[in-house]
Formats: sequence, C-alpha cells, structure tokens
Amino acid sequence: MVYPALWMLSSSFKQPWEIFGDILNLIPKEPTLNNYKEGWQGFGGITFATFFKNSFIIAGLNTIGTVISSTIVAYGLSRIPFPGRRIIFTTVILTLMLPMQVQIVPRYILFSKIGWINTFYPLIVPAFLGGPFFIFMVMQFIRGIPKELDESAFIDGADRIKIFYHIILPNLKPVITTAAIFAFYWTWNDFMGPLVYLNSPEKYPVSVALRAFSDPSAVTNWGAVFAMSTLSLIPVLVIFVLFQKYIVQGVTTTGLRG
Amino acid sequence: MKKYFKLVVLMLILVSFILAISPAQQQITLRIIWWGSQDRHNRTLKVIDLFQKKYPNIKIVSEYTGWSEYYTKLTTMAAGGNLPDIMQQDHAYIRGWVEKGLLLPLDDLVAQGVINLKDVSKSIVDSGRLGGKLYAINLGNNSQAFAIDPELFRKAGVPLPPTLWTWDDFKRIARIIHRKLGIYGAAENLGDHNVFRVWTIENGGYLFSEDGKSLGYEDDNVYASFYKMLLELQDEGVIPSRDVEVARGSVSPEQRFLCLGKAAMQFTWSNQLTAMSTALKGKPLKLYMLPTLNGKVGNFLKPSMFFAINAKTKYPKEAAMFINFFINDIEAAKILMAERGVPVSKRVQLALKPLLTPVEKEMFNFIATVEKYGAPTPPPDPERWQEIYNNVYTPLYDQIMYKKITPEEAAKKFREQVTQILRK
Amino acid sequence: MKKLTKKKKHDIWMGYLFTSPWILGFLFFIVFPLVTSLYLSFTRYDILSAPRWIGLQNWVRMFTQDPRFWNATKATFKYVIFEVPLRLLFAFIVALIFSQRESKILNLYRAIYYIPSLIGGSVAIAVVWRQIWGYPDGIVNAILSILGLRGINWLGDTRTAIWTLILLAVWQFGSPMLIFLAALKQVPTELYEAATIDGANFWGRLFKITIPMVTPVILFNLINQMIHAFMAFTQSYIITQGGPLDSTLFYAVYMYRKAFNDFEMGYASALAWFMLALVGIFTVIIFKTSNRWVYYEAEEGV
Repeated sequence: MVYPALWMLSSSFKQPWEIFGDILNLIPKEPTLNNYKEGWQGFGGITFATFFKNSFIIAGLNTIGTVISSTIVAYGLSRIPFPGRRIIFTTVILTLMLPMQVQIVPRYILFSKIGWINTFYPLIVPAFLGGPFFIFMVMQFIRGIPKELDESAFIDGADRIKIFYHIILPNLKPVITTAAIFAFYWTWNDFMGPLVYLNSPEKYPVSVALRAFSDPSAVTNWGAVFAMSTLSLIPVLVIFVLFQKYIVQGVTTTGLRG
Repeated sequence: MKKYFKLVVLMLILVSFILAISPAQQQITLRIIWWGSQDRHNRTLKVIDLFQKKYPNIKIVSEYTGWSEYYTKLTTMAAGGNLPDIMQQDHAYIRGWVEKGLLLPLDDLVAQGVINLKDVSKSIVDSGRLGGKLYAINLGNNSQAFAIDPELFRKAGVPLPPTLWTWDDFKRIARIIHRKLGIYGAAENLGDHNVFRVWTIENGGYLFSEDGKSLGYEDDNVYASFYKMLLELQDEGVIPSRDVEVARGSVSPEQRFLCLGKAAMQFTWSNQLTAMSTALKGKPLKLYMLPTLNGKVGNFLKPSMFFAINAKTKYPKEAAMFINFFINDIEAAKILMAERGVPVSKRVQLALKPLLTPVEKEMFNFIATVEKYGAPTPPPDPERWQEIYNNVYTPLYDQIMYKKITPEEAAKKFREQVTQILRK
Repeated sequence: MKKLTKKKKHDIWMGYLFTSPWILGFLFFIVFPLVTSLYLSFTRYDILSAPRWIGLQNWVRMFTQDPRFWNATKATFKYVIFEVPLRLLFAFIVALIFSQRESKILNLYRAIYYIPSLIGGSVAIAVVWRQIWGYPDGIVNAILSILGLRGINWLGDTRTAIWTLILLAVWQFGSPMLIFLAALKQVPTELYEAATIDGANFWGRLFKITIPMVTPVILFNLINQMIHAFMAFTQSYIITQGGPLDSTLFYAVYMYRKAFNDFEMGYASALAWFMLALVGIFTVIIFKTSNRWVYYEAEEGV
C-alpha cells in the first residue's frame, strides 16, 4: 500500500549510484543526509525554507477562501429556491468540465492585463469566489440534511442567513473538514498555475521548485528531489492527521426527528 | 538675504543643468530566463552576480525552471507580451520564434563589437543564423556521441576502435560484447532522430532540406536501411528491445544502461558525460563520434542552447553586453565550466584547459575532434518539427520496432506525412 | 398571499446573495477563458502570433484526418470504464469498514490508506512506479520470478501499460474514500437503532439504510470521478508519456501536447470542447437517471 512512499523515503537517504543501481533494497547501504542538505539549499541562495513558506501561504489562503466561499454558494444553490438557480448550477458543472490546459493561456492574458502576473493573486483570489468541485460536494451533503429543520426555524422567525449559520453549518463539519483537506492538498501540489503566473523564483512554491530540479539533458540530483519530495509530504500528512477526527466525529442528530 | 537666495537658486540651476547633461549612469533592469537543473541554476546565478559587480548600473532579475515546462511558460509569456529581455532558446524550437519576429537580429550588435565573436569559429556562429541574419548566440557545443566503457571492452577482449570507425565496426563490436559479456553491446534509443540525422548526412543529404519545406534526402532506402539495421540488432538482443526502452520512459543520464553496467556503448550527447561518469562513481569513460559510413562523417556540432534577445527589449545593448560577458569572460567561464557544453570561444577553452577534470578534458577533446572531422551544422529545424517529431517520427519508430510495420512501408509513410505537415 | 411574496422576495435576494461569490468569479475569471477557448477552436493559433480564423477545419481534421485523436479517445474511454467503478468500489468498501468503529489504530490506518493519494502527483511517483513495474527487474517481476513465473514488460506492452495506470489511480482511492466516510458518518444513528429493533441484520441495514442515505454522495463521487477520469493527465504525462504506441495516450495529454508542444492551440481548443461536450452528455444522462436511485432527505432533485 505504501511501498512507493517507502521507496521514495529510502531513496532520499541513498547515495547517487545506489538509487537506480540498487532499486530493490529499501535499506540504504551507505545512508547519507547529503540529499537533504543539498536539496534544502535550493537555488542561488533561495532555500526550501522560502519555497515552503510560499506553499503555506498559497495553500493556506486558498483553502480558507475555497471552503468559506464554496459552502456559502452551496447553501444558496441547494437550499434556497430562486429563479436562475438551475442556470447557475449548470455553470458550476460546466466549469468542472473545462480542462485547465485550454484555460491557462486566456487566464494568463487576463491576469497580465490587470497586472497580477508574478503575484500570488491569481492563485488565491479566485479561490475566494468558490471552487466548482467543492460547491458541488457541499451541496450534496446539505441535501442530506432534513428540510424540517429549516421549516421549524422559519416558524421561529429565522431568515435564510440565520438558518445557514445556526442549522446547516454545524451539520457540515465532516464535509467542510474533507473540503479543507482536499483544497489544501490540491493547492499544495498544483504546479501549473504557479509555474505560469509566477516569475521570480523567490515566489515559487515547493511544487514548482521541485520541478526546477530536473532537466533530463543535464545532471539531475535525484536524491535531492526525493528528499525534498518526502519533506513536501509532511505538511499535507500532518493536516490530514490533525483534521481527520472531525470527519469521523459524525453528526449527532438528536432532537431532529422529534 | 535676497542676494544669497538668488545665488543659491542659481547654483541649484547650474548643478541640475550639469547633472542633466552629463551621461547619467541610469539604473537598468534586465530580465533573463533559462531552463536547467539545480546545478545550472546555481552556476548561472553566480555568473550573473559577477556581471552585476562589473556593471553596477545593470541589475538582472533571474527566472528559471526545469526543462519540461520551460516552453509552456515561455510561450504563455509571449502570449501575454511579457517576455524577458534575454531568453535561453533551444535549437529545435527556435525557428518559430524567429519567424514570428520575437527575437532581435544581432548582426549590428556584433558589428559594433558589443558581442565579440572573434574567438568563435564561423560554423558555430552560423548555427544561430536564419535567413542570413544572426538571431541567437550559441552557448556551448555539444555533439552526438557514443560513450563507451573501456573496462567492459577490456573484459570482452575487444580493442578500442579508431576515431573514424564504421557502422560495420560498430555492429561487429556490439555483437562480440553481447556474446562475451551477456550485456547489451549498445544502448539505447538508437532509432532516435539524432542518430538518424547523422545517418542521413552520411548518405549525402540532411534530414530536412535547406528551406525547411521537405525532407533532405531523396531515396527512401536511406530511412529503410537504417531501421533494418536496428531491427537486426534488436532481434539478436544486441541492443535493447523497443518495448523495454518505452517502458523506461525518458531517463536521465544517471539511469542509462551504461551507468547501470548493462551496456558497453551508450548513445548520448557529449555534455552528459559528467552526469554519467558520476553515476559510475567517477569511472573514466571515452567519447566516440558516431560510426562513419563509406568514409563520410555524420557528426556535427550542435549548439547545446542559445541566448537570444527579446525583439521588444528596451535595452538591446545591455542585454547584448550580458551575453558577451557570458561567453567571453574567463572568470564566468570558470564558474560555468562545461555545464552548458564546451565553451564556444577558443580563448576561453584555452584558459580553462589547466582546470579541467579528466572527464571535462575528454569532452573538450571530443568537441575538438568533431570540429576537425565533422560535417557542417544543419540549419535550425522547420517550425513544424515538434509536430513531426511527436506525431510522425516517434510513432513510426515505435511501430517499426514493435514490428507493426515494415521499414519500407514506414519510409514511405514518413515522407508522405512529413510532406503533408510541412506544406500546411 | 402577502406572506408568500415576502418570503419569495427574501429568497430571491438571499439566493443571489449567497451565490454572488460564484457569479462574480465566474464572470470575471471563467467566462473569458470559456468563450475564448471556444472561439479558438475555430482558429489556427500558435500562441506566438495572433489567431487566424479557419472555420470548421479543426473539427473536420479531428474526426477524419487524425488517427491519434481516435487512439486517445479509445485509451481514455478504456481508462474511464475500468477506473471509475473500481475506484469507487474500493473507496466505498474501505470507508464502510472505517465507519464501523473508532480507535487510534484506525486513525493510523486511515492515514495509511490516504498516503497514496498524497504522493500521486509528484515527480517522484513516476520514477517509483517505473521501478515497481520495470522490466526485467522491477519489483513486480522480481516477485513473479521468485514464484517461478516469467516477468512481463508491464509498461512496454501495449496490452498491459494502461492497466498499470488504472491500478495507480485505483490505488489512490483515498480521496473518494474520505468523502464516503464523511457521508457515512452523517447517517443518523437513530435510523440504525430503529432498524435493529425491527430485527434488521447487517446486510439489511446496509442496503435499506446506509446506501440509500448516502446516494447523494454516491452521485457526487460518480460524476466527479467520471469527469476527473476523462480529464486524467498526470499519470500518463509523467509515467508513460502516452506510450507504448499510444495505448496510454490520455485525451488530456494529447490535447496538452497539441497546445504546448506542437503549438496548435486552436486545434487543442477544439479537442477540449469535444471532450467537454462528451462529458457533458454523460453527466446529463447520469443526472437525469439519478432521480430514480438517489434519495434526498430534503426531497428535491437538481
């Protein structure tokens, strides 16, 4: 199950000639920390400390923005009957189906015209306006919450906003946690966006920095690549371990079916 | 009071006037972009530091990536009108950039002496020339080579071949080694277009015609005979079978069969020798030109990469100054060594000689050999080369070696499809 | 009467308020690429110079003159048909198991099952996966030889290469599993209690309560995974590069190559819109038929 991860971990401690020369061995014959030292150095004085910092900023802000905005939009689309709802939902699904490869050049031109190139804005601002995958996911979860709750709250004089805040939101902990984990992990690993929108290497997140290590026509320090890839796994893993308990906490629905 | 006041104002005006008319050392910022791995990034950044120290009024902002996404990024920048002033360019891609007017012609800057090419041989300079104009400066020389492991040759009891060996020699040696040592005689990807190009030259033509509008050889048997030879060797197990190569995907130098001790001769580019030698814990390897055919040498000097200048740059002179520094300055060369190939300036090569490691010496000597015996460098590929390579050349190569099509049929299809694409 | 209008007005206002972030984002960031890419599909555009209108040429070429288009479509279909059901099945079963109990050990197991998804997109995975399936001395073949069986060139054989990629994707079932887990945990425990009182056993509970209650999420995962699978890119791009002989040429890889390697962005845009239409049709079909098998607590369809 985790063999590939173990292989990568073990290679990160191997000498250059051992990595491909002795692939079956998970225990390095001449273990070394060199790969970590060399890898961490990054390029031209920009160490992975900077790259990790950038990754955290981008992934962190993106996650917060995505989760908040997607939940809000999902509520609107799944709980509030209003004309135009179907069309809006269609645009959500449509966006889900448009491949990034053909979006990238027009988006670049767009961001270029508003001067956002070489900033983090193209990577963060759109997140605060909802992510189609997350909107759809939260919608499906909201649909599992009985409408009677809304009804009884209306009778008590609440409006849609209050219902959202006091009734729906508390019941969405599992899906919001899941959404946060995904949003973080996907942004953390995304390299297409940062590659194209960011020019200065000081702004590179880890995902792009890792790819700047490899050039098939020149010497590639694979040990360093594996070492930094292993390190890159850790934040995502930590987030997962920390948050997973919220997913399984489940939801107690006492009093709902009174 | 008033008198002093008038005096001060007069002084201020005078000083401003003097400042205004004196040639100001204005601060200029250039952007540069290149591709490479960690090693190249570090070396290049050091050279940039050196340059900035020498010319304090020029600041250089660096941007760099790995190879596989370089052109995606560069073309996207072009679409947005955001290209840097200095760009590293690849021989296989550059024609399109020239034809779209994105690169600055450099002849004037050379004539003015801003870029000094006096120590660079004409054929190397001309590799960056298209339609008579110079658009890019070659940064390092490279050539097709077989890297061979002398120790394995010794073990198999095979003497090292002469410099101008033939394809018959090659086949014979490969077979003996395969028989005696049970490893591949030669590897890998021998049907690669870079080997085929050499073959076409040895058969009296080129892969593409001068004007880039059609194939550069008339007889389809040139194509067929090449692949027939490879099929023979594949069937005998002397070279890796294609499905093994395909399964390995694109491998970096350290992963090549030679570096795993599984082949005695490895097709490669000369500047990958350092990586391969390191993978073998520093074992000395020798570089050979590709075998000759009927006395003709097919090897040619290939620019490893170029620097070109953005046609829309605001500071052509300063950009040119940097490129000049990059290829001519000795201190810079000591930092770069042979990472981008053998330096193009003979003066620089000479200055570096005492500092060369044995591996680098081998590379330098090899390039000198190619310069002596090699064929002239072909012009840059047609603009549609990538499309041809991805959709015609490689699929046909695979199909032939997987025995889905005969070399003769493939030769015809190749000509048909290439002509169709080039006519578009 | 008055109450209804007031509520209706409130709803309209609230509806647009809540969906305003999306509407803004869509208008600012999506519409332009959406419309541009459609326009580009009727042009020849090499990115370096302005697009040139060529009408339906790209579309004609796609269907009648491009064998690789069909190769890519076939390979992608094959991938989708096997990967989606397998992945969903594993995800659901494992999520079900995890939902039964709670313990520290299970936390660890969950993390382990999720790790594959984490390293999936990295550069390293290509190298690792090739080491596993390598021939003749990859790890799988090493195991086979210990068992006395002959090794297979998994990545070099046109019949097996795509299965390694399908396996890779299924191995990374952690994401849909988590979503299923969240959904399973949301099923009210009272329902189970009531069913047990009524004498239902595990299977009864499973099929009469669990599965119906999570059908909205099954629908979500199904649609999402299907779209995701049609647009699969990374594995083929970095591991097999579409080979051998196009047997793993994912549609998205072909499209990317056309755009950025061959500088035919116009043609790539046409490819993109064809896929979008195709996936759209499948999505609509699934949505329409979903009314029959999806149960919404809130009792309304899309």
